[in-house]
Amino acid sequence: MSPDQLDRSTPEATSRFVRRELHSSRAVASVVTGVLLISGCLLLLFEAVLRAVGDEPFLLDVEAAVALLGRLPDGVPPSLLVAASLLLLAVGAVLVLLAVLPGRRARYAVPNERAAVVVDAEVVASSLARRARVAAGVAPEQVLVTVGRRTVRVQVRPTSGVPVDADAVRAAVADDLGRLGVEPAPRITVLVADTGVVGQ
Amino acid sequence: MNTTPRLLNRIVLAVVGLMALAVGASGLLLLALPSAASWWRDVAPRIGDAIDGLRTGTTLGEQSDTMLWTSVAAVLLLLIVLLVLWIAAQGKGRTGVFAAVGRSGPPGQRDGVDEATPGSVTITAAAAEQALKAALLERSDLAGASVSTWEVRGVPGLRVRVYPRKGVPPYAVAAEVSRLVEALDTVTGYRTPVLINISSGARARLTRAERVS
Repeated sequence: MSPDQLDRSTPEATSRFVRRELHSSRAVASVVTGVLLISGCLLLLFEAVLRAVGDEPFLLDVEAAVALLGRLPDGVPPSLLVAASLLLLAVGAVLVLLAVLPGRRARYAVPNERAAVVVDAEVVASSLARRARVAAGVAPEQVLVTVGRRTVRVQVRPTSGVPVDADAVRAAVADDLGRLGVEPAPRITVLVADTGVVGQ
Repeated sequence: MNTTPRLLNRIVLAVVGLMALAVGASGLLLLALPSAASWWRDVAPRIGDAIDGLRTGTTLGEQSDTMLWTSVAAVLLLLIVLLVLWIAAQGKGRTGVFAAVGRSGPPGQRDGVDEATPGSVTITAAAAEQALKAALLERSDLAGASVSTWEVRGVPGLRVRVYPRKGVPPYAVAAEVSRLVEALDTVTGYRTPVLINISSGARARLTRAERVS
């Protein structure tokens, strides 16, 4: 950086970007929950205003509904009550899990001097698959790479009669991962299938 | 890079979720446990009496419980406004100014300025975005690119999203994009915060892998 440039970038900002990119913001769940709650509130508001001006109820007689709640579990078929309760339990469990779980995205943070760099796992997998394919000397369809946060799994189906050097594949994949510099370095598993495929 | 209120999102989701869990669990308990049902049979009329008492207390003269319904409506309206504000807060934070110096700049960004000098210089976000995007789209190993400017703690920052073709090594893309960003630093004179997002969009997935490199 030359001295006449104004530096506005800080390491804190960079690490904040990376942290926020690696985790879900729960924006979609929030918007869906918000819209559902708003529609419920709008219906109640409408009914309340109708009552306030002394009109007939529109969709829901609030007073009758409250009276029904007070008489539970009578007045409602048990099957309906069970179904509604289970539905509420399921929705509640999903929302609580969304709130509590870290919500990690399938992405990797990559060290870079200038910027915060975040790579989708799918991009890493396709790059590794290409390196593995070249090292094994097989067609793209014969290689399957699965990447997790701590593990990389390379599955190779060799061409019939042409042996695949698993160590060479492992070295190629390790080299690609090393250049990317993902921390911590994932564990690499190379699986060469026993049966080959015919001439690709 | 946006200012989505992440903690608030999680708190509200947890509160709504716990309320749903509580209502669902009590519904099941009323059916399954006779003692719970008898307890509710005891308590419910008392709650009903309390509501009736409130209603008679707030009804004036000839009115038929108008006040109570009006206040219920007001509370609901407040709740709706809060929920709308919550939804509107998601994904905010884009800005249209990359850098501004001189008198037209916002107070926080008048850096390195001789306040006595008349005039001002503004670099719009579109200028920086298009310069970077044009440079990115020249590359054949990228299926697409998008650049946007976001305000991060009072400072404009760039979000660069690139979609490499299948099999392109991400470290090469990262190095190349950061080189272009450094070129942009030199051109604009600002070293802004940058986020490079190397993603696998639908377009990158559908296009063919690059055969020659």
